[in-house]
Amino acid sequence: MFKDFTSYLQDNNVLTALYYYFLDLPLVIEVACVFILVALSATLLAYGSILVRRYRGYRQDKKETDLLPVIDQLLTEHVVLNEGLADNVPIDDIELPIEKFRTKTLRNPANRQLLIDRIVNYKKSFAGSIGDLLRRLYLELELDKVSFRKMKSVKWNRKVQGMIELTDMDMSISDVNILPLTNSKNRELRAEARNAYIKLSKNEPFKFFDVVTEPLLMWDQIELFKTITTTEEIAIPKFARWVTYSPNKSIVSFCLKLIVHYNQQDAAHAVIKLLDNKDHNLRADAINCLGKLRCEEAEPHLVEIYYSQPLNCQLEILKAIGRMDTGNQIQFLRHEFLHSSDFDIRKNAAKSLIKTRATPKSLVDELIETGTAENKLILRHCMNPLIKF
Amino acid sequence: MERILIIDDNDIVQMVLQKILVREGYAVDIATNGKEGLELIDRENYDLIITDLMMPYANGFEIISKIRQHPKGERAKIIIISAVTQEHSITEGFQLGADDYLKKPITGKELVIRVKRLLDAKRATTNIHV
Repeated sequence: MFKDFTSYLQDNNVLTALYYYFLDLPLVIEVACVFILVALSATLLAYGSILVRRYRGYRQDKKETDLLPVIDQLLTEHVVLNEGLADNVPIDDIELPIEKFRTKTLRNPANRQLLIDRIVNYKKSFAGSIGDLLRRLYLELELDKVSFRKMKSVKWNRKVQGMIELTDMDMSISDVNILPLTNSKNRELRAEARNAYIKLSKNEPFKFFDVVTEPLLMWDQIELFKTITTTEEIAIPKFARWVTYSPNKSIVSFCLKLIVHYNQQDAAHAVIKLLDNKDHNLRADAINCLGKLRCEEAEPHLVEIYYSQPLNCQLEILKAIGRMDTGNQIQFLRHEFLHSSDFDIRKNAAKSLIKTRATPKSLVDELIETGTAENKLILRHCMNPLIKF
Repeated sequence: MERILIIDDNDIVQMVLQKILVREGYAVDIATNGKEGLELIDRENYDLIITDLMMPYANGFEIISKIRQHPKGERAKIIIISAVTQEHSITEGFQLGADDYLKKPITGKELVIRVKRLLDAKRATTNIHV
């Protein structure tokens, strides 16, 4: 039986009594007590930390609410509405009252970050002389040094923040600092470094393609594609170079998409060589690229290799034939449509047959008349002009 | 005084455009989304409307087509300001009735010139009709 707790209190103080009481408890209850204690402490700690964070956030929001109008007033008065801009004075000669931005409040690191964020956001929205004057302000306040310091931080999110600030303010970052980051183990960091490299490197924006060993994930490719196609005055290289030499499959695949986007017809030979690659996904990408480039010289070869390819490559070959629209493979497409047991193959063969302008109407009519119910449905689907190929 | 309505959810763009255009002598109102913009158009007469494309509640294309169907918005000039630069977005904007398209980031001087040019054209057309 358990002894009453009060009996422990007779010769001891409360803590000691508790300790002896605990030692006399059965082991199971002791373990349960420890668990309860740990769980309670963890819950309290978590609540405490949430409350502290919320309070900090609330204070920061309050500070921002008070400070943002002041920063906005300074930026609009001395930068956006600067008299010098209206009078077409060269940017470097415009009178910029820097001391007004060097107040004690704005020297505080948190407030200075707010100023950086605001300048960067203004720069994103306004180009031309306003953008140039914002950049001059950023430099004269030596905020670039703050951003460069962030790039040297051990924390990846600080590095990314610094890089974004420098990129948005059109600051150049040396290859030594940025190239290693394009290969970082951290996905966000390497994606941002690649974006920054393309935006900032005017001569060789794709140099990092040579050093990338980590794969370009699909999302990275979308982001990079957006950066490449929207960055002005970017030097577009011949992407066939990486198709031929890069050991990184994702780089090759991405370059195939860029070849199509920039319609680099002279890359066709390098792409055709990829048809011998062991990776069937890469072969499918190459076939897709040839089709979109309408590389007619590759068509006989595609038909020749068709039966030795896996399904994804076969589908790409059928699509490519439709895109090339030479009219030389009507019988091949008809055969695939009629005799294949795979639904996707029949669907893509039908699509390409319909897309090929040389396909006789009589052939399509005949296929509709003599086909199975499913084949008729496929053909009617493909003939619908609202369904894009 | 000619009246301009700015419909944009970006507070920096709203504020800076307002200051630039007020300095040029225009009366400027601001709407932070498409719904608010349409409510203002219902109540007021605007000579020119500057709208973004990507906004909450109603995107720029919906706003333009509603403005053009609105009796008060029929003759107003419309400028699209957007970071969207795809050809089809620009042509769709013009097809729906926009008069001009400015790509973000905006140049202050360019904006003022385009606003002036459109308002001059509007004034000239109004004089012919009168």
